[in-house]
Amino acid sequence: MNQKNFPFDDDPLWYKDAIFYEVHVRTFKDSDGDGIGDFRGLMEKLDYLEELGVNTLWLLPFYPSPLKDDGYDISNYTDIHPSYGTLEDFRLFLNEAHRRGMRVLTELVVNHTSDQHPWFQEARQSRDNPRRDWYVWSDTPEKYRNARIIFTDTEQSNWAWDSVSKAYYWHRFFSHQPDLNYDNPAVREEVWNIMKFWLDLGVDGFRLDAVPYLVEREGTSCENLPETHEVLKFLRHRLDTFYRCKFLLAEANQWPSDVRAYFGDGDECHVAFHFPLMPRMFMAVRLEDRKPVIEILEKTPPIPETCQWGIFLRNHDELTLEMVTDEERDYLYDEYAKDRIMRVNVGIRRRLAPLMENDRRRIELLNGLLLSLPGSPIIYYGDEIGMGDNVYLGDRNGVRTPMQWNGGWNAGFSNADPEMLYLPLISNALYGYQAVNVESQRRSMHSLLSWMKQIIRIRKSSRVFSRGSLEFLNPANHRVLAYIREAGQDKFLAVNNLSSSAQAVELDLRRFQGLIPIEMFGGNPFPRVNNRPYLLTLGPYQFFWFKLRKL
Amino acid sequence: MAKGTFLSDDFLRQLTAVGEVDILVGVPTSNNRKTIEHVVSAIQIGLVKYFSRARTVLINPDAGSRDGTSELLRNASLPDFRTALATPPLRTMHTVTTRYHSSLGPGGALRLILAAADLLRAKACAIVSPDLISITPEWVDALIRPIYHEGYDYLAPIYQRQKFDGLLIKNILSPLISAVYGYRIEEPVGGEFGLSGNLACDLLGQDLWHEDFIRYGAPVWMTATALSGNYRLCQSFLGPKIQSSNQVEVGLADTIQRVVGALFRSLEMHEPQWISRNGSQTVPTFGFQSELDLGPLRVNRKKMCDMFRTGVAELFSILGKILSPATLASIQQVAQSDESCCHFTDELWVKTVYEFAIAYHHSVMNRDHLLQALTPIYRGRISSYLLENHGASFQELKARIESLRVRYENLKPYFITGWRAKA
Repeated sequence: MNQKNFPFDDDPLWYKDAIFYEVHVRTFKDSDGDGIGDFRGLMEKLDYLEELGVNTLWLLPFYPSPLKDDGYDISNYTDIHPSYGTLEDFRLFLNEAHRRGMRVLTELVVNHTSDQHPWFQEARQSRDNPRRDWYVWSDTPEKYRNARIIFTDTEQSNWAWDSVSKAYYWHRFFSHQPDLNYDNPAVREEVWNIMKFWLDLGVDGFRLDAVPYLVEREGTSCENLPETHEVLKFLRHRLDTFYRCKFLLAEANQWPSDVRAYFGDGDECHVAFHFPLMPRMFMAVRLEDRKPVIEILEKTPPIPETCQWGIFLRNHDELTLEMVTDEERDYLYDEYAKDRIMRVNVGIRRRLAPLMENDRRRIELLNGLLLSLPGSPIIYYGDEIGMGDNVYLGDRNGVRTPMQWNGGWNAGFSNADPEMLYLPLISNALYGYQAVNVESQRRSMHSLLSWMKQIIRIRKSSRVFSRGSLEFLNPANHRVLAYIREAGQDKFLAVNNLSSSAQAVELDLRRFQGLIPIEMFGGNPFPRVNNRPYLLTLGPYQFFWFKLRKL
Repeated sequence: MAKGTFLSDDFLRQLTAVGEVDILVGVPTSNNRKTIEHVVSAIQIGLVKYFSRARTVLINPDAGSRDGTSELLRNASLPDFRTALATPPLRTMHTVTTRYHSSLGPGGALRLILAAADLLRAKACAIVSPDLISITPEWVDALIRPIYHEGYDYLAPIYQRQKFDGLLIKNILSPLISAVYGYRIEEPVGGEFGLSGNLACDLLGQDLWHEDFIRYGAPVWMTATALSGNYRLCQSFLGPKIQSSNQVEVGLADTIQRVVGALFRSLEMHEPQWISRNGSQTVPTFGFQSELDLGPLRVNRKKMCDMFRTGVAELFSILGKILSPATLASIQQVAQSDESCCHFTDELWVKTVYEFAIAYHHSVMNRDHLLQALTPIYRGRISSYLLENHGASFQELKARIESLRVRYENLKPYFITGWRAKA
């Protein structure tokens, strides 16, 4: 446990105040000129992240891997992929991040391994190999027929034939990713050992990838099973027993009522992504109607006091549309992915800025929602400068292109020849690195980057954002989404115009009679709240954040 | 309410909260507690099922209902959409209610609906009666789709009617409008209709809302205005129209005064547009017409015939100021004939109607009195019509109505001559 030099408080609920920044090592900065980002490069850019104001880094898989699924096909859980550096590089990076007050979250991809992992290679050797029972085998592909296929674009079945051992193996994702068998206690122990390895290095937590699919049972959807929760309770118990201030983040792309179970009684995951909220924020802005957001949050059950939602706009995957109705999915496809090439699996492979048609007002509005609704926000790398995407790169690579640092050689990402880059840079006139990059935005007080720094700073100024209660105001104007958040004496009011036209709204703030709304970006006081409807006018996509002060 | 406006502050505030919409459905009410929930349910399901992505609002001007109609409408909860074969709505469904003085009549309600359409920049509007029992969600589609998706400006309904239902429409309104305005509209005063936002704004902008006829004659005037302007017109099959029977029945004389009077007044206003039109054309018709036979409507023909005879005798001197001597003589002849052979020919009927319109135009007497004098003559015509078509099939009746329309059209020069002549 090498935390003693780090400027962290001992608050075990620190993850409630986290502002996550999701980044893939290979996308951020290449330090050795091979065209692939690495830990030393990432370390060089920690000052930038500190300046941005984020306080928790979520690193996508950086382990040895055949990279058939961007690192989510791991072949060695306790090492670093050579392209990204060494364990020593990682250790240095971790120390530097901690020194700046940033915690580091890594991926625990243990629903499955790569088929190149030595465990699987051993398991397939013979039916009586000691590792055989580490995976899920069958002589028939008829078992677990109620389980849906997730990667519908590429997979026909959840079973794949192993020609070596002449049997089918179970895989919920790609066929090169055989699922581990959690009914085998040895697997659970080994997963704990992996966690222990990284925790001892100083890692602050894990994102549990594909967590609903750990266990299979006949006659079920093989998702969210009680046995899966037992595995999580086991890992959490070990974590709490041996470590302090560490945390688990569940990736469960499910309805809130199903995800709720992943918090357990505060004895499973600390944080879980709120998947259904994400598409509804996009839908609300397009529909110019608050209904989708309010509906899903009202359907979201309460969670234990020690737990927190993780909310996001975009991430490294497609903008998933699994947690919407068919009608809503069709609508979102039509509005945000008219061109079919923008669609992949059950979702949309586009970044935030292109989704918002590079409309700064809408980008700000969505970030305003992200940073003021309940939950710990997750910002995807590059979205803070409005990076674009390249839908022609296949799979989800279009949203995983190199970070754009400046308008120079390879956008400042790498000194390698452009042909060597792991993916080509975005180079079109609108989103290309000459137009959209950190260096130019640093020089403008009015850039998106500068604005992001400001809003993050405001968010961090009060725990009302991270820990406050939520109460929706329901003004007659449905284009306005307004809510109160309260934590102790702190009271916060957000008023968001979801529409493309100016709106007037009357808010019922009688409960706060006598308080003075202070606009948080400019610090200006607004008229004192009285017992009459509080009238505000908002420009297109404009939002206000008010601190309600008693003076 | 601010001076010089017909929109209350509360109504305006509600509209402000709704903002721009794509589709507006207006439901004027007056003590419709019995049916309003059913009507609102059908509208809401229809909007969700057929226009799930559109921004919609339901506008309810209420003429001071004392039976809780407005409260019921405002609180009407959304039905279970799954059982209605629809998915839950994507958007907030808005309902705006406001009151207007009952003395303003349906015209007052229509004006509020048009004002809402204008302020909310609605692209398509529909007006629906509050007392419908037969309305289904499909009516919403039928009324709005041609406007919203096909770009039409005005949509008239076509109902599936019982035999001998809608006789005023079939004998005066529809054929007269077809002949004069040049468009064959089957139901020019249906009670349900669709209109574009553009037409709504144009109607609202007309400087006649102070006129008396608009109180009850607004639908006819609206149809006539649509036909007189450069608007795209269409019709849509809705199916049977069955209304709740608890509404106060309006007498025939009042109906004629309101509806025929409004049409005659509209003819005056639109003269520059129709005077040079020749012939008539069909308008596109949407939907599926069922062949279901709803059976005949019971009408007391003998009583009608008696009232016709009495009316002609009592009003003879008044009719002499309205009708030409030849027409009056022919009517008198019909009135004096035996009940079983009382035969009011198409030609005589069309000339009678035209001469009434001409007399109205030239104000040969108080217009209300003039319209009242039409009532007994109409009864004679209907008595004859019922006798002649007693055993007619659905198709035969259709041919009969078509023949009447042609007669109106053929006699249009006769009408124009009289219309242009100095009183």
